[in-house]
Amino acid sequence: MHFTRGSIRAFASVISARLKPNLMEVAGALMVALLAATAIGAPYLAPYDPAAAVANSFGDPAPPSRAFPLGTDELGRDVLSRLIWGARISLEVGLAAMAVTLAIGVIVGLLAGFFGGLTDFVLMRLTDIMLSFPTLLLAMAFVTVLHPSLLTILLVIGLVSWTGVARVVRAETLSLAQRDFVTAARSLGAGPARLIAIHILPNVMPLIVVMAVLGTSSTLLLDAGLSFLGLGVPPPTPSWGRMIEEATTYFRTAPWLAVFPGLAIFSAVLGFNLLGYGYLRRTAPRRSL
Amino acid sequence: MFRFLLRRIVVGLGVLLGVSLITFLIAFVVPADPAVAMAGAKADPQTLAIIREQLGLNQPLYIQYARYLRRALHGDLGRSYIRRENVTALILERFPATAILALSAMALALMLGLLMGGLAAAWRDRALDHALFVLSLGFVSMPVFWIGTLLLIVAASYLKLFPLGGFGSWSALVLPTITLGLGLAGYYSRILHTNLGEAMGQDYIRTARGKGLSPRGALIRHALPNALAPLLTLAGLDLAGLLSGVVLTETVFDWPGIGRLAFEAVFNLDIPLIMGTVLFGAVIVIAANIVVDALYAWLDPRIRLGDLG
Amino acid sequence: MGLLRFSSLSALLLLVPLLGCGRGNDALQLPPNARILHLASLDDIPTLDPAAGYDTASWTFEQMIFDTLVRYSDAGVDLVPDLATSWQESADARTFTFHLRRNATFTNGRAVTSADLRYEIERVLTPATRSKGIEYYRDIIGAEAFVAGRASTVSGIETPDPWTIIFHLAAADPIFLDKLAMPFAAAVPREAAQKWGDDFSRHVIGSGPFMLRQWRSGQQIVLVRNPHYFDPSLPRLDAIVMQLGVDPELEWLKFQAGDLDISAIPPAEFPYVMKTPRLRNLTLHITTLSTDYLGMNCRMKPFDDVRVRQAFNYAIRKPKLIAILNGRGVAASGILPPGLPGYDPGIRGYPFDPAKARALLEAAGVGRNFAPTLWLRADQQEITLAESVQQDLAQVGVHLILKPVAWSALLEAIRQPHTVEFFSLGWEADFPDPQNFLEVLFARRQWGSNNDSFYANPRVDQLLDEAAPLSDRARRYALYDEAQQLILGDAPWVVLYYPVTYVIRQPWVHNYILNPLRPTRFDRVWLAPHPHETP
Repeated sequence: MHFTRGSIRAFASVISARLKPNLMEVAGALMVALLAATAIGAPYLAPYDPAAAVANSFGDPAPPSRAFPLGTDELGRDVLSRLIWGARISLEVGLAAMAVTLAIGVIVGLLAGFFGGLTDFVLMRLTDIMLSFPTLLLAMAFVTVLHPSLLTILLVIGLVSWTGVARVVRAETLSLAQRDFVTAARSLGAGPARLIAIHILPNVMPLIVVMAVLGTSSTLLLDAGLSFLGLGVPPPTPSWGRMIEEATTYFRTAPWLAVFPGLAIFSAVLGFNLLGYGYLRRTAPRRSL
Repeated sequence: MFRFLLRRIVVGLGVLLGVSLITFLIAFVVPADPAVAMAGAKADPQTLAIIREQLGLNQPLYIQYARYLRRALHGDLGRSYIRRENVTALILERFPATAILALSAMALALMLGLLMGGLAAAWRDRALDHALFVLSLGFVSMPVFWIGTLLLIVAASYLKLFPLGGFGSWSALVLPTITLGLGLAGYYSRILHTNLGEAMGQDYIRTARGKGLSPRGALIRHALPNALAPLLTLAGLDLAGLLSGVVLTETVFDWPGIGRLAFEAVFNLDIPLIMGTVLFGAVIVIAANIVVDALYAWLDPRIRLGDLG
Repeated sequence: MGLLRFSSLSALLLLVPLLGCGRGNDALQLPPNARILHLASLDDIPTLDPAAGYDTASWTFEQMIFDTLVRYSDAGVDLVPDLATSWQESADARTFTFHLRRNATFTNGRAVTSADLRYEIERVLTPATRSKGIEYYRDIIGAEAFVAGRASTVSGIETPDPWTIIFHLAAADPIFLDKLAMPFAAAVPREAAQKWGDDFSRHVIGSGPFMLRQWRSGQQIVLVRNPHYFDPSLPRLDAIVMQLGVDPELEWLKFQAGDLDISAIPPAEFPYVMKTPRLRNLTLHITTLSTDYLGMNCRMKPFDDVRVRQAFNYAIRKPKLIAILNGRGVAASGILPPGLPGYDPGIRGYPFDPAKARALLEAAGVGRNFAPTLWLRADQQEITLAESVQQDLAQVGVHLILKPVAWSALLEAIRQPHTVEFFSLGWEADFPDPQNFLEVLFARRQWGSNNDSFYANPRVDQLLDEAAPLSDRARRYALYDEAQQLILGDAPWVVLYYPVTYVIRQPWVHNYILNPLRPTRFDRVWLAPHPHETP
């Protein structure tokens, strides 16, 4: 989901809101923590090498058994080990792509909101242009043209998803730039760089953090979608999206192959969404992001 | 009003020009020689040189772009390298399938979203509200290709309730509609919940309440109509997005729409077809934006360009 | 605001008539008891224009809509008459004379004449047509001048009367007849091809046993019987209906329900089919004239060292690949596939021997941190097989990196020198002759064209040149065999397997015959009475 054009209100309430997390946030945080722990601990948690043939199930995936709790795939690989290592690559891609998204979006938003005028017009039309494209289609075209690799995928996801961040940051900057403490600093001779760095950015920061959490859920989904279409990080890196793609061949004879990687993506995305929207609902119930 | 619309269209055309430039550039950083794509694996270098000459691939980039733009303005998006057919015709041929799926998924999303969002707002801060909120987040967190595959496994393969994909009967529409509609339903339910919350805080609701209207009565009679307008605007823009092709759902269900066409184009590096589908999608979205803004301006003359961001 | 809602609603209503489109069969005008062959396929048909098509799906229908002078027999790679009733080949294999049948007509009612055969070859040779078949007819005298625009006709094609056509070649070509059996050389009516131009594909007119009735992109293609076909006893079907956009799984289920007469077998179902005698007895299979292989660029380090290339040959477990393919391949030992004239069953190939592979790599000075990149087509099965190769090479200390790219990007990249060190490809025979493998893929002059491994061996080149013009089959094949042995020793490829095609047919389908080189012909197929006859 993209950030939507919503009513942008002053965000003081967010800053002042005391940290008193609700159940949703706790649940979300736990899910995210579990994902992170799996990703970090993958070498210790995975019972087998995720790329090696450890069973003789070539061409005919084997159902779950004692030795292989989630079965083995058509290349004789342990599905559980692949799932565990998949957490690492998914989180890496999700977070790094989010960083790219934020970097572009925040810079564009700050510049457009702070300088206004022609800068604003040009940057916002650029945003309009990017928003007009069908996101997944554009990402597919870019990845194919540049060949799929970890770096390509990060950059492409960032390149197609920064517009929402830019719009929100611009609106926020616009309202901050007219506030007393900014005009006061300006009259005291502070230059644009200083104004942005010291007075604007710190005040936009809480909003950026929320968008980072919610944005990670979108980048995770986009990455999974690209992987499903065969445009993800190339093998043997086990990615959840590609595991589902591979499983579609066997969806009648070995449905478990599709079920578990999907659950993994679902719970990872849900974790970030619960955390982000749970927080928003508590602190700024009228904000629609 | 007329000047507003004119300005909006001029800006829209500018955006479209930018879109066409980016689309064109994607195609020209492509690592594959269009001549090879056309002539195939076994062609000799001489043949390739002839084809390059013919397609004008030896001319400077800006001349190629100008030619592309001139043709696009006449509705001619070139010919597919692989299939040789007119790209515009290929896209229009696939449009009805995408349109049917998009409309039916949107209808489901709006109905389910209204129901969920409405119920949640009516029981604000109760258990039902929280449960529906988590459910809506669950809907938006599901990867569509996964839920689609699961529906195929359970509803089509095991229970044999619906066909396993394909196109041509109303029952084949059910599973793709659910797959595509659920995520949007979750999204709309959350938006509606927020909008209703905002509306309930307005003065006119207090006035109505003061006249003895019950909270739920006020919600339905006064807040809902006001919260609905922005939601429908959003849905209109989203519908435009869906009409430009739903790649994942169409791929899972082998739905013969624009998304599948684009998917095939990307895999064959069929450059004119990739450019065509991307441009087509962008045109629909830009047009929808102009229409929605115009409707707004028509209904509420106070609105000016600047307010629409 | 109420007005806005109304407007949105009416906008939605305006789109509703679309629901009617694309659905429901408009009258195909088939008789109630029509004998219809029902087929299905996932991908759409790329084209029906014989100048354009160069793939199995297109040729499946092109060869039913159009006729060529000669064609292959139903099951083999021997040539039989089609539009030509007889022909003569000169002793030097440079002049070919054909005598045409007089009772062939296009479906627009006009008789097929020698001018129509000349027209299509000239159409293919016209650069504006962008035909993939252009290179096959360049050896006809005058073809080069015609391609370059210096002549308005090809001087080496003679049509002395409507029923005779003579080809004069610039050099001896013992496989020229095979080139005339390709759909590129079909009889095409000029009036229709010129009227429709690039859209001829959607409005094809030919003289073959069937004609196009309906083609909805991504949905359905329907061919109906040509009542004026020159052989009045054929075809034996009234129509062929192929549903498009049907996933292999769905195709299989429809077959099981009796809705389809022929089906491919999805990989996941394959073990089950083979274990069930009733189903296994309904399958047909054939080893195609093609070879899947891994190519190594002999000009790039460390693949310029023959020991490294041989090590890769020893390292790969072919039986595992065959298991992953569920037996739909035959492990390969040589370059030429079985069934190809000139095939040598005595070739042993490289056995699976990882210890020897490691030893050869050590000898060549390749350490355990060697990480070559394998370029391959971004296709699910290709990637799965490459992952298996990745597992095998890991066992000998080679860390393979996979680079899946689009098909045309792959073709483009491998032609550049010093770009692709290692790649996965397959080669399908165009003609049943060793030249079509050995010369096209390994001759020095094919660098930058089809010699993707940039292989060169002067002795091999000499043998290839010596063999090419020979019409004496025994001597020809002996020379090609010698060349093949030399190439295998130099190991520019790891030959993997020869693909085997499996299909399953309903018990009431008769005369459905697989061909190792071409798609199945439908003209002799017939259906016994069966319970699913209503279309």
